[in-house]
Amino acid sequence: MRRARKPSQSKLKKEIREMAHRLLIRRVWTLSVKDIRCLPSSAATISSSSFSTSLQSPPSRVSLLSPPRTLPRTLHQISRREVSFNVQDNEDFTERVINSQLPVLVDFHAQWCGPCKILGPRLEKAIAKQKGRVAMAKVDIDEHTDLAIEYGVSAVPTVIAMRGGDVVDHFVGIKDDDELDSFVSKVIGQ
Amino acid sequence: MAALCRGSQRWKRIHCFHVFKRKFTGKHDYDLVVIGGGSGGLACSKEAAQLGQKVAVLDYVEPSAKGTKWGLGGTCVNVGCIPKKLMHQAALLGTAVKDAQKYGWQISGTVSHDWSTMAEAVQNYVKSLNWGHRVQLQDKKVTYLNLKGTLVDKHTIRGLSKAGKETILTAKNIVLATGGRPKYPSNVPGAVEHGITSDDIFWLKKSPGKTLVVGASYVALECAGFLTGIGLNTTVMVRSIALRGFDQQMAGLVTDYMESYGTRFEWKSVPTRVERLSSGALKVTWTNTQTGCEHSDTFDSVLWAVGRSPETKALGLDKVGVQISKETGKVIVGADESSSVPNIYAFGDIGEGRPELTPTAIKAGRLLAHRLAGRSSELMNYDNVATTVFTPLEYGCVGLSEVEAERRHGKDGIEVYHAFYKPLEFTVSQRDSSQCYIKVICEREGNQKILGLHFLGPNAGEVLQGFSLALQCGATYPQLTRTVGIHPTSAEELMKLSSSLVPAE
Repeated sequence: MRRARKPSQSKLKKEIREMAHRLLIRRVWTLSVKDIRCLPSSAATISSSSFSTSLQSPPSRVSLLSPPRTLPRTLHQISRREVSFNVQDNEDFTERVINSQLPVLVDFHAQWCGPCKILGPRLEKAIAKQKGRVAMAKVDIDEHTDLAIEYGVSAVPTVIAMRGGDVVDHFVGIKDDDELDSFVSKVIGQ
Repeated sequence: MAALCRGSQRWKRIHCFHVFKRKFTGKHDYDLVVIGGGSGGLACSKEAAQLGQKVAVLDYVEPSAKGTKWGLGGTCVNVGCIPKKLMHQAALLGTAVKDAQKYGWQISGTVSHDWSTMAEAVQNYVKSLNWGHRVQLQDKKVTYLNLKGTLVDKHTIRGLSKAGKETILTAKNIVLATGGRPKYPSNVPGAVEHGITSDDIFWLKKSPGKTLVVGASYVALECAGFLTGIGLNTTVMVRSIALRGFDQQMAGLVTDYMESYGTRFEWKSVPTRVERLSSGALKVTWTNTQTGCEHSDTFDSVLWAVGRSPETKALGLDKVGVQISKETGKVIVGADESSSVPNIYAFGDIGEGRPELTPTAIKAGRLLAHRLAGRSSELMNYDNVATTVFTPLEYGCVGLSEVEAERRHGKDGIEVYHAFYKPLEFTVSQRDSSQCYIKVICEREGNQKILGLHFLGPNAGEVLQGFSLALQCGATYPQLTRTVGIHPTSAEELMKLSSSLVPAE
């Protein structure tokens, strides 16, 4: 399989702009969906019956944007603050990446990709050094092909950095430990 | 017939609505919709998009009877050429390891093969190709839809998602490239429940074990070949002849080699039933049609390779008036891949009379895209297409078989030059080369044009490619004699043929 050429600076900027635009649309949609669902009187009756879109957000989010709830999912949410996790589906991505309080590195990888297997542990190490100030979401592009295509991934590994739902940086291919440390620091905003 | 008339009246009303809608919007959703994301469909859609057309491709894989499914890319990428060649290579490497010791390699202990390691590597590579195709479609701005497409009328397609959601698309032109799927025998109890096909073999996580391959097509022989090569007990059950459609003298040599290589053959036999025993093994009962005797044996797997049928039944072709062959079910097409409906085209494996090969589908698809975009009128040339059967000893050929050449030019109208040879690599490893053989069929009169070229030996595919160019250029026997061979190779034996100047009887 031929790897895509490393995009030029202007192409990168264009891609980031396009990604940001898509994310903005997704966030606005998600927020409006949540507004509809956050009717105080019917709080207790909100169940898992869902909207059919992939932009569904669970009714109980621990954030400044939704009223506090005591549905079981909230507790589950608090305890599930892993630093590095595998994205399960689009909803999971929205919840744990776009709507994350922490900056998140998204590692797009594949089973058949040799360099991904080298970069993966290095990323884990770089994340661990930050002691919970940044999270990492792993996306298997064979399992979540549409998501990967949506984010403009062509070659793997591709890592995009998201902060407050916006794409702030990305890179394609392998980086060494020092390069990763500085990349992560930049993302956190140090 | 009456049903069709009624149907068309109903569609006329909907069609009128669509016409109204089109006048209102001014155009169809797409310039071109391709149904089928295989070798042909992808090539056609990408080319059309590059020529400025608005294109969508619908690809949907109905899982096999065993539940196997795969990603974008069609048969070749997922359950054909690619995994086949990789497993064939795995088998060849096994033979190479055995030969290696004669060449001085010190290999301690026995060398065994692990199916799971090979399967995982092959499956991973195929998945990378699925991804690569998705990226290419994205780059070339082709809309990809994972939907099962059906024709509603000649400009409208209904796409059904896995979840049952319906999408309607309209297109100026529609191209059908849905390919084919393996057939199951219709009269063998237990065939579907207990057997697998080529759709499944490449995706097995565990070794198929002792395998019975039913059929003698190139699919059957190639699969049986690599299964034998990786050390599995393999039997091929042949109803009548092997490699139907190929030169039969060459086919005989192919199966002779396979028998000496370790594949068992049950000739002139047909299975009558397949049962699962309490041990989990499969008991197959068959009849030898020559002796009339019934036999049975147990196997771990039964692989049906008894032919392929085109994916035309679920397309809604009869509703729209696209004619298919009653015998094969394939779409009847003109030289420009057009069907009986003016703006609907079909090519690749579903085209009647077309070779079931990836390179012809790709080329035909690209030329069709050019014609649809009004850029050219060049038609696909289906003559002298070279092909290779990747059995343990490979068989490559281009042009006519001996029998076909005789039929067209008369027995006295042709000259056949032939020779057995021994590849140099076989000498030190003391391998049997009894079936390494070459045959060149020429016109006897005129400029003695080469009509057919057949090569049985290692790397036949690589050897043949250059000669297929020669045939495309109308190479003649005198030109062959004037060409000097590369030494030491097996390919040069084709040049040495000329110096023998001894036509076959």
